[in-house]
Amino acid sequence: MLADQKYWNPLLETLPLRKVKELQLRKFQRIFKWAFEHSKFHRALYDRASIRPEDIRSHEDIRRIPTVEKSMMRDVQRKDPFPYGDALCVPLEEVSEFRQTSGTTGQPVYQADTWQDWEWWAECWSFILWAQGYRPLDRVFIPFGYNVFVAFWAGHYAAEKIGCEVVPGGVLDTAARILKIQELRATALMATPTYVLGMADTAVNKLSIDPRTLAVNKITCAGEPGASVPSTKKRMEEAWGAKVFDHAGATEIGAWSYECAAQPGGMHVNEAMFLVEIVDVETGEIIDEPGRQGKMIITALDRQAQPCVRFDSKDIIEWDPEPCPCGRSFRLIKGGVVGRADDITKVKGVLLAPSAIEEAVRGVAGLGDEYEVVVDKDGDIDRITLRVELRPEALGQADSVNHTLVDQLRIKTNLRYNIEFHDYGSLPRYEVKAKRFKDLRRGH
Amino acid sequence: MNPEVNTEKMDHLIQEMKRIAREVELAGGEIPAVVRNVKRLMASIKMLEINVSDVSGILKTT
Repeated sequence: MLADQKYWNPLLETLPLRKVKELQLRKFQRIFKWAFEHSKFHRALYDRASIRPEDIRSHEDIRRIPTVEKSMMRDVQRKDPFPYGDALCVPLEEVSEFRQTSGTTGQPVYQADTWQDWEWWAECWSFILWAQGYRPLDRVFIPFGYNVFVAFWAGHYAAEKIGCEVVPGGVLDTAARILKIQELRATALMATPTYVLGMADTAVNKLSIDPRTLAVNKITCAGEPGASVPSTKKRMEEAWGAKVFDHAGATEIGAWSYECAAQPGGMHVNEAMFLVEIVDVETGEIIDEPGRQGKMIITALDRQAQPCVRFDSKDIIEWDPEPCPCGRSFRLIKGGVVGRADDITKVKGVLLAPSAIEEAVRGVAGLGDEYEVVVDKDGDIDRITLRVELRPEALGQADSVNHTLVDQLRIKTNLRYNIEFHDYGSLPRYEVKAKRFKDLRRGH
Repeated sequence: MNPEVNTEKMDHLIQEMKRIAREVELAGGEIPAVVRNVKRLMASIKMLEINVSDVSGILKTT
């Protein structure tokens, strides 16, 4: 039976790595030639580097090609054709979808997709959902404000493609969404980790519904790293009584990575659709071996309207030395996306990744899910304030919770914090990407 | 993998579908309902090429 098939496409997902690399080279040659011939932006970039399509004969040749930064894409879209600029590879009448980046790191970048690209988005997500156990009998509820952000749009289309029944939970408030999930006995959800926890909180505290009594048995997360942060994943799984899976993607890249049902502590890179390279943040040297972190340079091998060729994503990742028990030959990145090169900041001379604070806070039982970090200066000295909420049931245990939190923060970040306890429910709640880290120092 | 899967045969059939879709588009002249639906069909055929045709030759190499 189709539903019993383990892989979305065994031809690709079990292809030996040597052949994967051969496939990637062929596909890279094709997308490079396409971008070179159809985009003024790419043509100028490669002309300046004196690289032509016929020069690309090996993976080593690919590494000589200039990378593309997000800031370059912002400059590009000031040019014609409006509003995308000259990275566009197709006539405007071929563009059928507009999306834009969230603007977390600056001015949003507009993204054009043809209908073929849109099919491709759904195809990439089909690999994700099938690997996470979605099947035609699933009823998938998507509590997402369908808008200009790509977020779960492609998850919606992929769920349809797989054959699931999709319930768009667009313009409903959180309580109404939970009641709809209950009414329809939805079996799967897609949301950001922040919203997954927020929904559970609303269900328990406003509706007196235990999310574990609902029919939801799997949740796919995106938008934030939480589903790969062990303490956050544990909180979500315990709150919902469901398996929680991570995936990684970006508007200008596509959905390039996914956790499978084996939950191996990392995510598979879809190496048939994307070429992922890891480079040393300081030296730019390519990291081929497992166990060394670097930033990701990525190529979407089949994207047509606005190609993504050697894009500097700033995501920090590392190859996992272990194969996955699921049998997929697509390599794993250990622990998922562990940070961003432009997120990791120096505080008191120590490198601090915001995800390490999340891991500490969410690992302390008496604390609520929300928190906020503010870095500023006390004279010349960096100061970090961590605002947390004590759960109502832990009100009498503030001292021991504080003690545990201080210990966990020291172990995980090697830094000291001013910890402020706030009333439960008083810190900001988010539906999409949370903004919990605020650096108020000059120049940050 | 299913041993009876013949990727070369599948690729051949996919290319046939593509050829036929183009013929339908030509035969439809300027009828929007034909042209636009063939466009969508071609996007789906491209996904079959990504899943089968692109890898078919590579599966044969040693």
